[in-house]
Amino acid sequence: MDYIISIIPQMLMGTVDTLRLFFITIVLAIPLGILLAFCRVSSFAALRKIVAAYVYVLRGTPLMLQLLFVYFGLPFIPVIGIRLDDFPAAVLAFVLNYGAYFCEIFRAGIQAIPRGQYEAAKTLGMNYVQTMRRIILPQVFKIILPPVSNETITLVKDTSLIYVLAMNDLLRTTRNLVQRDFNIMPFVVAAVFYLVMSMILTYGFNKLEKHFARWD
Amino acid sequence: MRKIEAKNICKKFDDLEVLKSIDMTVDEGEVVAIIGPSGGGKSTFLRCLNKLETINGGTIIIDGETLVDTDDKGNVRYAENASQIACRMGMVFQQFNLFPHMTVLENLMEAPVHVQKRNPAEVQVEAEALLQKVGLLDKRDQYPLRLSGGQQQRVAIARALCMKPDIMLFDEPTSSLDPELTGEVLKTMRNLAEDHMTMVVVTHEMGFAREVATKVLFMADGYIQEQGVPEEIFERPQNERLQTFLKSILK
Repeated sequence: MDYIISIIPQMLMGTVDTLRLFFITIVLAIPLGILLAFCRVSSFAALRKIVAAYVYVLRGTPLMLQLLFVYFGLPFIPVIGIRLDDFPAAVLAFVLNYGAYFCEIFRAGIQAIPRGQYEAAKTLGMNYVQTMRRIILPQVFKIILPPVSNETITLVKDTSLIYVLAMNDLLRTTRNLVQRDFNIMPFVVAAVFYLVMSMILTYGFNKLEKHFARWD
Repeated sequence: MRKIEAKNICKKFDDLEVLKSIDMTVDEGEVVAIIGPSGGGKSTFLRCLNKLETINGGTIIIDGETLVDTDDKGNVRYAENASQIACRMGMVFQQFNLFPHMTVLENLMEAPVHVQKRNPAEVQVEAEALLQKVGLLDKRDQYPLRLSGGQQQRVAIARALCMKPDIMLFDEPTSSLDPELTGEVLKTMRNLAEDHMTMVVVTHEMGFAREVATKVLFMADGYIQEQGVPEEIFERPQNERLQTFLKSILK
């Protein structure tokens, strides 16, 4: 028990990095996903195809590969090649990757809204932006809550991939402790930490779903 | 005064000619019922009037303003302010199409406040008066999906009226209702007709067409086959298609 208490401060430090990456990714990837989804359902064929290709590449390759590419590969690309620090590189890779997944979730949500909603808005004189913002998106948010909740919990665990960039997130801190102390207890503590984060998210999303269920 | 004038309206879905050549007019205060077999183009025609469908040829004039015109070469041109002209007409749909995430009162107030930019307090007074009129003031804070179909449709009528339209279009307003719920919706429409609202109603309710309409159009195969006052249409139908249609309905 004393051992567990002794490692908790370090593990909390690691959790801060994990959470930082998690929140920044969520805050940037969801708007990116919405934006991409609108491109994906737009009437411009070229735009639709570009975004479809983007989604294909980002969903079709491992996040780990993308992470390594942004951090180690990007500096070698001519003209746009820049060297990013580990944390910005991680954020960039995660946002681009999760943006692609959120795009598909939002696209499905937008396409699930019946035509009649658009027609009603049109006969009431609403323009495209008003229709989307006031009529369509509020209904889309309700539909996409379960898949977004799913993605979000996956993201908590995916953040552990940044250990390959030698960042001291929760997982890498844990591994260091295990190797230093020849004790597997940190693995158990890390599992509990991840479970607590997932539990909080699940609780939050359940609350949101209840909130949106008021008009069923 | 002439409220709607449609001339030589053509509408195609790919190769399917749904409307071949439709001519009709609606004067102020008239209640025009459009009847006919399914797939005859009734709903499509109604949806062309407020630009939910774009036409492939013809002219539509609303309240003296040209919504859409076709030149000699067959080019169809919509007016720049076509959307504004179109939304002077209120529309009631078969599937109600209320906004499920807004309460009844919010459904009514949404467009007057956010599109017409009217004062919310004034709009609310009017919205409540309209709900009173359709007998649903006690449901003002309910969400639409909690209401029966008949109640939802009456809310939809009130929502359209809250925009202060000159003309009301009804697209089979009772077709998705249980038989015992159609009465309340038809009564609301009847009251509206008594207030001299100009109305165009696509309907399968022959009783309503006979008693409330001032003019009945029979549409089939993309043409208006026959039109006239209800007594002519129902008592002395001339057109053979109409005679068969009425027989099959009254069976």
